[in-house]
Amino acid sequence: MEVNYVFEGLKIMLLGMSTVFTFLVVMIVMMNIMSKIVHRFFPEANDANNTSPAMTNNAKKIAAITAAIMHHRQVK
Amino acid sequence: MKSIVLKLFALMLFSLSLHASDAHAPAAEEMGSSSTHKEETYQPQTFTEMTMGFLASTGVNAILNPDPNEVNAHGEAMSDFHKSWGRVLMILITFLLFYLAIAKGYEPLLLLPIAFGGLLANIPVANIAGAHGFLGVIYNMGLANEMFPIIIFMGVGAMTDFGPLLSNPKTALLGGAAQFGIFGTLVGAVALSQYTEMFDFTLQQAAAISIIGGADGPTSIFIATKLAPELLGAIAVASYSYMALVPIIQPPIMRALTSEKERKIKMVTLRHVSRLEKLVFPVMVLTLAIMVLPDSTPLIGAFMFGNFLKESGVVERLSDTLQNSLINIVTIFLGLGVGSKLAADQFLVLDTLAILVLGLTAFSVGTAAGVIMAKIMNLFPGSKVNPLIGSAGVSAVPMAARVSNKVGMEYDRSNMLLMHAMGPNVAGVIGSAVAAGVMISIFG
Repeated sequence: MEVNYVFEGLKIMLLGMSTVFTFLVVMIVMMNIMSKIVHRFFPEANDANNTSPAMTNNAKKIAAITAAIMHHRQVK
Repeated sequence: MKSIVLKLFALMLFSLSLHASDAHAPAAEEMGSSSTHKEETYQPQTFTEMTMGFLASTGVNAILNPDPNEVNAHGEAMSDFHKSWGRVLMILITFLLFYLAIAKGYEPLLLLPIAFGGLLANIPVANIAGAHGFLGVIYNMGLANEMFPIIIFMGVGAMTDFGPLLSNPKTALLGGAAQFGIFGTLVGAVALSQYTEMFDFTLQQAAAISIIGGADGPTSIFIATKLAPELLGAIAVASYSYMALVPIIQPPIMRALTSEKERKIKMVTLRHVSRLEKLVFPVMVLTLAIMVLPDSTPLIGAFMFGNFLKESGVVERLSDTLQNSLINIVTIFLGLGVGSKLAADQFLVLDTLAILVLGLTAFSVGTAAGVIMAKIMNLFPGSKVNPLIGSAGVSAVPMAARVSNKVGMEYDRSNMLLMHAMGPNVAGVIGSAVAAGVMISIFG
């Protein structure tokens, strides 16, 4: 019996493409889950640093402004 | 001055060939009788005999009067054409490859060693690509057992940054779609051998050829040595040539499949990816490969090993060695070893032509599939994807991503697509490794 190799090729294509996509889709799902876990339980020190200097800066500014206002009022 | 030298050289060649052709018959007989006794006694020879014997051993004579008993690197008989003018033609082809590598800058790092290996492999008499010649030794040392491509993969892994992919995971689908080039061409190659008399590729050979569409040099070489070592030379040359031609092949396809509006799509800025994510990712993908497709783990394992060393941040020296000295050393050997397969009797066959055409098809289909996949993704709600980055799904890191960026910039100067395109680009490497794993699981 003559084997139809084109048909064989089509079967390999179907199997191959579905494997590649399954692999990548599972990989995407795992990546998303992993990112969520990492961000929730192991937030990076950088993130904290990024926000805290801004906070302290603001706090310092507010302190300085309040002090200036208080001083101004007292002088009056 | 130059012309005189050339004339002298031509005259010399001419006289040599005259001598050689009439000296050949007696010299051959003599060699037959003397070589058996060579080790026992040294027969005194007259000066004429000595000269004739020497002339019979020159390259010019070997090309003009091919030795009927000569066999190729596999010990099979060769046709007279492959012993004589075929070699000259191959040497000229390697000169063309030199030109492409040096003057045009087509992947010189690999094309130059491959071409020089090819030059050496086509030298008559010396048999450098034979089992005991140094090219043959290099081939058996690291290519026949598929080790060199694996080491290259480690180095590539150490150079890869998965950050862009991690910050926009869904672009990995583009790297999957581009693998359609591989499987589509597989069907094309078997159809070609089924419906024409000229070509007769087995399924294994068709699989090895179609991996060119993955646009990933080491993967192509890995699969070719495993499934169809007799086609390795042509497959490697096609693979690296097309990778070098990415900036020429891809843009017309990308433009044909997208509208002006789509090309101007701006993508959401990539978020910051933490170090821990990058560190977990290689182990995660390897775990997935272990569960789904262990046949792909030689490639994915080596790739992720390199990447893990880099992201761990504690073995700077090892990661540096993988990225530089080791990959450079192995590239030299890999190139020369592949070059040894450019011997005339293996390269100058009709199959090579089919491989070049099929490889180009694989590449173009992969590019088109990536772009179309991006357009399909845009039909779904969520952040839009610029279809131009779809073409980067055919690995060819980082050339394909640069092409996406360049084409994008042509339509909108402020649209920087480079980092967005790196996501599908590295996903393409994983995708072709998975496709290769499927081929191995079916044929291996």
